[in-house]
Amino acid sequence: MSPLVSIRCVTKSYGRGSTAVKALDNVSLDARLGELVQLTGPSGAGKTTLLNLISALDRPDMGEILVAGANVTGLSLSKAAKYRNEQVGIIFQSYNLLPQLTALENVLVPMIPNGRVDRERAFELLDAVGLVDRSAHRPAQLSGGEQQRVAIARALANDPLLVLADEPTGNLDDENARNVMTLLFRTCRGRGNTLIVVTHDRDIMRTADTVFELRNGIIARVRATDTKERPGPKLKA
Amino acid sequence: MIWNKIIFGGLGRRGFEAVVAGLVLAAASALVAGSLMIIEGGRYALTQAERTDRPEIVQIRSRFNRALFETPRSGNLPPLTLPVYEPLIEPEQLSSAARDGMIVARQSLFRNVVSSDRFLNVYIFGIDPVAEGQVSGFPLTRGRFLRSDDGAVAVLDEASASALGVDIGKTFPVRKADGEDLDLTVVGIIGKLELRDAPPRTVEAPALTENSSFVSSGVFVTLHTSETIFGRTALTDALVIARTPADVPSLVDNLRETFRLEPGVFVTERYSQFSRKVHDFVLTLSLFTLIATATVVLAGSFAANLLHDVFADRRRHYAILIALGVSPARVAHAVLSLGLAVAFAGTITAVLTAVFFRPKEFALPSLMANLGTIEPRFNLLVAAVIAATALAAVALGITPTGWRLLRRPLATALADNRG
Repeated sequence: MSPLVSIRCVTKSYGRGSTAVKALDNVSLDARLGELVQLTGPSGAGKTTLLNLISALDRPDMGEILVAGANVTGLSLSKAAKYRNEQVGIIFQSYNLLPQLTALENVLVPMIPNGRVDRERAFELLDAVGLVDRSAHRPAQLSGGEQQRVAIARALANDPLLVLADEPTGNLDDENARNVMTLLFRTCRGRGNTLIVVTHDRDIMRTADTVFELRNGIIARVRATDTKERPGPKLKA
Repeated sequence: MIWNKIIFGGLGRRGFEAVVAGLVLAAASALVAGSLMIIEGGRYALTQAERTDRPEIVQIRSRFNRALFETPRSGNLPPLTLPVYEPLIEPEQLSSAARDGMIVARQSLFRNVVSSDRFLNVYIFGIDPVAEGQVSGFPLTRGRFLRSDDGAVAVLDEASASALGVDIGKTFPVRKADGEDLDLTVVGIIGKLELRDAPPRTVEAPALTENSSFVSSGVFVTLHTSETIFGRTALTDALVIARTPADVPSLVDNLRETFRLEPGVFVTERYSQFSRKVHDFVLTLSLFTLIATATVVLAGSFAANLLHDVFADRRRHYAILIALGVSPARVAHAVLSLGLAVAFAGTITAVLTAVFFRPKEFALPSLMANLGTIEPRFNLLVAAVIAATALAAVALGITPTGWRLLRRPLATALADNRG
C-alpha cells in the first residue's frame, strides 16, 4: 500500500550565511492512510517546520513531499490553499480561531471556499467534540481546552485525509490535554484520517502507530507499535 | 454573513483606529477638496475671462467728436450736434500695421432717420459680415444675416425695427454724405446684439438693453454700403485679432508706431489685464496646490499609519484564513473591502462636506486682486483627486500586510504573535 504522505530527503534552513540554521536535514518519512503518527523531540528539533512543510505553509530548500501522490512542495499560494482546504486539517498549538466568529462559525470557515456552508455538519462536528451547547460562544468565552476542541472540529470540517496537529495540548493543563488528545486520536481513528501530531506526551507514544523522534533536524529514532523499535538515521556529529 | 463578520468583525480597539483613520481621511480630503475647488474656480474664472475678454483682440478706435445732424424737414428745430467716432483709420495703414493679425473693420456711424415731421436716432454699423461673425453674435429672430456681396440691405434689431416701423422686405431711408437718401431694405431682424467692443451709448436711441452704457441696438450694413453712406473708406474703429495672445504686445507696439502721428487714434488691449489674471491664477494654483499636497502627505501618512496598525493586527487572521484553505484572492478581497470601506466613508464624508459647506464666493484680495471673486467649483477632477488620496492612504496602509502575507512563508505570519 503506497503511503499517503511521503517525505523524501527534505532539507530546510532559516537565515542566511553565518546565521543560517538548518531546521531539517535530509529528512525522509512515510505515513500511511489511517496511520496515527507522532513527531516528538526537543524544542528546535524541526517538528513544527516539518508540519509546516507538509501543510504547504512553507517550502523546503530541497527534497519533495508527496501527499496522495502529488508533490506539494512547489505549489503556488492559491494552489497550496486549495490543497490544504481539500486534503489537510490543521490544528495549531495556539488554536488560531477567529475571535470575531462563534464556535459554529469557526467550524464553518473551511467550508467557505467550496461554497458548501453546511451548518448541520458543523453541529455534528461540535457534537462529536462535546461542544454543541457552546456553538454560539465566541473563542474568548471558551476555555483553552474548549477552544482546542473547536479547532479539532474545524480541522475535520472538510473530512480531510490528513490531519496535522502541532502541539495541540501545549497550552492546556494535564486533564484537558489528556481529554483533547484522546478525542483527537479517537476521532481520527474512527474516521480513518491519517494524523501526524507533534507532542511530547509520552502516553500518546503508546497509542500512536509510529513515533518519529527528531533531533537537530534529523530523525534520530523511529518506533512502530507493530514492529520492533528501530534506530533512525545516524545523528549528525 | 460569516464573511461580513470576517471582514469587519473583531476589530476591537483597532476599530476605533479605523474610524479615526476614516475621519482623518475625511478631514484631509475635505481640505484637499476645498483647495482644489478654489483652484478649479480660479481656472474657470480664467477660462471665462479668456472667453469674454479675448486677450488676443486689440481694439483700435478713433476719438469721439461732435457732428452735425439734420432735424425734421417740417417744424422748427435746429440741427443737432451729436458725438460720433471720427473716421481717422485708413484701411491700408491698418493692414500694414496689423501684419498677420486678422482685421475686423468697422464704420460705426450715427444717423437720424428723418421723416417729414419727426426723426429717429439710429446707430449704423458698417461691418464685414464674415470677420465680424468671429467676434460678435447676431442671433436672428427673422430673415437672414448680411452677406459680403450685399448691396443696400440692412439687418437691424427688433427695437430699431419697431421704432422705424419696418419689417423684413420693407425699406427705410438713410441720408448719405452727398445729401441724397439711400433706401435700405430690411433682410433680417436680430433679437439680441452681442457686438464685441460696442461703442459707448451717447444719445437716446432704441435699445434692446435698457440703461446700458454701451450700444445695444443698431442697423447693420456691409462696409461697402456704409462707405456709400459715409462717402469715405476711412474706418472709425476696428479690431485686430492676433494669432496668439503672446503676439499682442508686439502687435500693439506696431499699431501705436504706425498711428503715432494721429493723436485721435487709440489702441487698447486686454492682454495686460489678462496676464495679471493669469499671474494671479498661477499664484493661487501654487499656494493651494502646496496646501493640498502638504495635507495629503501629512494627513495621508497619518491615516495610512493608523490603517497599517489595523491591518497588521489582522494579518494573523488573514493568514489563518489562507491556512484553512481560503484562496488568497478571496482574502485579498476581505483586506480590500475593509480598506475600501474606510476610504469610501472618508471620501463620501469629504465630498458631502465640500459640497454642502462650499462658499458661494471666495476672494483673496492680497493674492487674487485681478482674478477677483471666484466661485469654488466641485467637479469630477476634485472628486477623483479626493478618491485617489483616500485610496493611496489605504494602499499604503495595506501594502506592508499584503507584502508580508504574499512574500513570506505563511507559517511566519501564523507564528506572528501580533493580533
